[in-house]
Amino acid sequence: MRRDLEKRIWLYTIAIISIGLVALYSASFQNVRVPLTIFYDQLLCVGVGLVLMYFLGKTDYRKFYDIAYLFYALNVILLFAVLIGGRNALGARRWIEIAGISFQPSELTKLALILMLGRYFSNRRPSLSFGVFNKMQVVFRGLIIPFLLTAVSMFLIFKQPDLGTSLLMFGIFFIMLFVSGLEYSYIFGFLALCLSVVPFAWGILRSYQKDRLLVFLNPNIDPLGAGYTIIQSKIAMGSGRIFGKGWLGGTQNQLNFLPERHTDFIFSVIGEEWGIVGALVLVFFYFLLINCGLNIANQVKDKFGMYVAVGIVSILALQVVINIGMVMGLFPIVGLTLPFASYGRSSFLVFIIMMGFLLNLSKRRTIF
Amino acid sequence: MRIKIIRIVFVISFIIIIAGLFYVQAIRGQYYYDLSVNNRIRIVHLEGWRGNIKDRNGKVLVDNRISYDVMITPQEIKNIKDLFEFLSKALNVDKEELIDTYRRNKFAPFAPVIVAKDIDRMKAIVIEENKYLYPSLFVQESYKRIYPFDKIGAHVLGYVDKVNRAKIERFKEYGYSFRSTMGYSGVEEYYDSYLKGQEGGLQIEVNSQGKQVRLLSIKEPTKGQDITLTIDNDLQLISAQLLEDKNGVIIVMDNENGEVLSMVSSPSYDPNIFSDSKKRKKMSMLFSDVNSPLLNRAVSGVFPPGSVFKAVVAVSGLASKKITMQTTFDCGGFYELGGIRFGCTHVHGIQNLVQSLAHSCNVYYYNLGLLVGADRINQVARSLGLGEPTHIDLPFEKAGYVPSRRQSILFGKRKWYTGDTLNFSIGQGDTLTSPIQFVKMMATIVNDGNEVQPHVIKLIGSLPVDTYSIKRDVKIDKSIFIEVKKGLRAAVSEYSGTAHILDIEGLYVAGKTGTAQSSRNKEHHAWFIGNVISKRKNLSFCVFLEHGGSSQNSTLIARQLLLLMQKEELL
Repeated sequence: MRRDLEKRIWLYTIAIISIGLVALYSASFQNVRVPLTIFYDQLLCVGVGLVLMYFLGKTDYRKFYDIAYLFYALNVILLFAVLIGGRNALGARRWIEIAGISFQPSELTKLALILMLGRYFSNRRPSLSFGVFNKMQVVFRGLIIPFLLTAVSMFLIFKQPDLGTSLLMFGIFFIMLFVSGLEYSYIFGFLALCLSVVPFAWGILRSYQKDRLLVFLNPNIDPLGAGYTIIQSKIAMGSGRIFGKGWLGGTQNQLNFLPERHTDFIFSVIGEEWGIVGALVLVFFYFLLINCGLNIANQVKDKFGMYVAVGIVSILALQVVINIGMVMGLFPIVGLTLPFASYGRSSFLVFIIMMGFLLNLSKRRTIF
Repeated sequence: MRIKIIRIVFVISFIIIIAGLFYVQAIRGQYYYDLSVNNRIRIVHLEGWRGNIKDRNGKVLVDNRISYDVMITPQEIKNIKDLFEFLSKALNVDKEELIDTYRRNKFAPFAPVIVAKDIDRMKAIVIEENKYLYPSLFVQESYKRIYPFDKIGAHVLGYVDKVNRAKIERFKEYGYSFRSTMGYSGVEEYYDSYLKGQEGGLQIEVNSQGKQVRLLSIKEPTKGQDITLTIDNDLQLISAQLLEDKNGVIIVMDNENGEVLSMVSSPSYDPNIFSDSKKRKKMSMLFSDVNSPLLNRAVSGVFPPGSVFKAVVAVSGLASKKITMQTTFDCGGFYELGGIRFGCTHVHGIQNLVQSLAHSCNVYYYNLGLLVGADRINQVARSLGLGEPTHIDLPFEKAGYVPSRRQSILFGKRKWYTGDTLNFSIGQGDTLTSPIQFVKMMATIVNDGNEVQPHVIKLIGSLPVDTYSIKRDVKIDKSIFIEVKKGLRAAVSEYSGTAHILDIEGLYVAGKTGTAQSSRNKEHHAWFIGNVISKRKNLSFCVFLEHGGSSQNSTLIARQLLLLMQKEELL
């Protein structure tokens, strides 16, 4: 059973990566707009990543318990550093270069946040006493402190600006909070409070972020500007119909109608060239992988492990659902990658590391 | 427990995603598939070119020439500064001006912008030779209509221009697009469907920048059919020369078959203005000119006929059998009705029909009109083609108006008085006729009641158009026309005739003069409607001068016309 879960994680991960690589090759092999080098780059990442995943699977994840806070603190410093001296691309500062390797700290934040929250929540003990003061203490320790800790990185990522990842952080926090066992009244009271802030938050959004949200409501507002991406992406998806236009045969993809098709919009390449059949196969593998993760979370006996598993599964599920949803026009374009399939070293490696953790967790379900 | 809830939420999210995939790909798939096909396939239009128009002797009256336009595709510009520097040097135009034109006309990165229209061939070659340095640049060839004789015969020929918004809706299904040119007025409009070339096109696959990836199919454009007119250009030149600086019309038509040999309306316009971008500025002047140069007065102008109408009254008098050739009326210089004097030009004394036509005696026709009645005159006028379109093959023909008592009572504001009948009998009052109607009427009289159909078309391609060479009997006794013709001849042959100056040796000339009072205190309109028979030809003709004063003026021009025709051996 243990070996079985491990095998399945390997199988699903490799299946998803393979489908991603096939699509990435199709998106780049003509070497126009999207250079072919990104395919080889990704291939290299896959090689490195699988080795990394193997070794992480062998490492005791509890070592990460010890460094969780430190790791998070370092990550926050990196996020600061990005805002101050990061590389500017497409109107946002997201990359930072350390020792000749450039990466996105915000991707690393996903991991750091999961570990930090995992350690924090696993240290919480159910309160045994009652009373008003005690209740306030529960709310303070069980909700406000972890939220403030999360909010630091959320804010820094939002300033980059990267609304999508920032909201994703909130999603992870919320799901882990939900699992932490805090009373429903506090959790949903908190959610209601957050939602009531949304109208005010509109004011602090950048104009392009507003555009994207408005265009999501009606892409034809600006078909050649902000609406272009979503229209072309929907056309690509839809025109694949049942069986797709065949590998390397997607006209939307090959004739450059799809912008960002190697990163955020890789799923529309799959949808166009492999049709609904290919899209469903990929979605199905994601679902199986997520299901595996939830099974692990259920079986892991120590709380840190459970929180980490839940965090990993939720980030995977959130990104898959949001990315596919946005490619089809169900969600606004928020710039979240499709795990394992989109091109992007930081994103890819962070997800690989997470899978390494899951492997590890699947092996250590009980503490003797 | 809470993990179970999370699992349920995830399952629901995935179900939503899968449902979304079904909706977009399976249900709406065909719609998006069609959109993706539209995305990548572009049609590049190749302009067809129009057929030529020739005169009856094969002289080319309307031709095409190739024009070269300089185009720039915005998305392919590498260095905008270099490009415009080169263009400015090559075209010898100010750089700022070029950039300005470019900025004004640019609307999409993939759509080429015209920066210079109709440049010299040599300049076009220079630009084409340097094209490899400036990939965004190209020279587009198109066909421009040219009219070598400028103003001469412009009203018959018409002009071409871009299809306008109002017309595109109506003509879309006949293969016109907003790019096509079409004929406006004249033969260019009337025979547009024959003259128009077939538009061709390239079907190409493009990428997202609109760059061609491959050619899918091609349809060659074709030239429209050539058209040969019945018009004689030499005669057109003569007519145009005679009407120089005057407002008026000259029409010459063959009585045998209704072929119009000459039709000139003055003032005229230069149709090149509409197809030559450099001359386009003059266009608005044409539209605002008080002399309406765009109006073809020969078919679209309607005027009071004056004494020319007496020929109609003469026919109706004989047709109604109220008079014979011997019936006379005494002209004392006026006719008194209810204390009002209706005047005549002279005191003619006793006049019979022939004399009355020769001298254009008003009093004779007052009497005759009252005898015959307005209804009968109206009926005869209509059967002779007045107040009715002649259906000549030119657009915008006006029917004119022949008043009748019934219409006046039914629709008019006032009753029909006896005085109206008097005015009607000498071609005054509300009657309005066009010059071509009178030419047709004259032919009917000359042909003893056989009506011909005036037309300008002779051949389409190499096929003769014979639908117009039919004759129609107007159902008035032949002998009546023979008698009336005597009167028309007398106007020329008699020393006292109103058109005696047309008595030219070697020619049989007959006709009727007319001086029509026009409103607004302007000069009278001067008419002459005639028939000339030479050894070779039997023609009807009309000389009309708008506000040209007395009919002597038009008769004088008719004389010059006949003399020149005789000299140029056109008779």
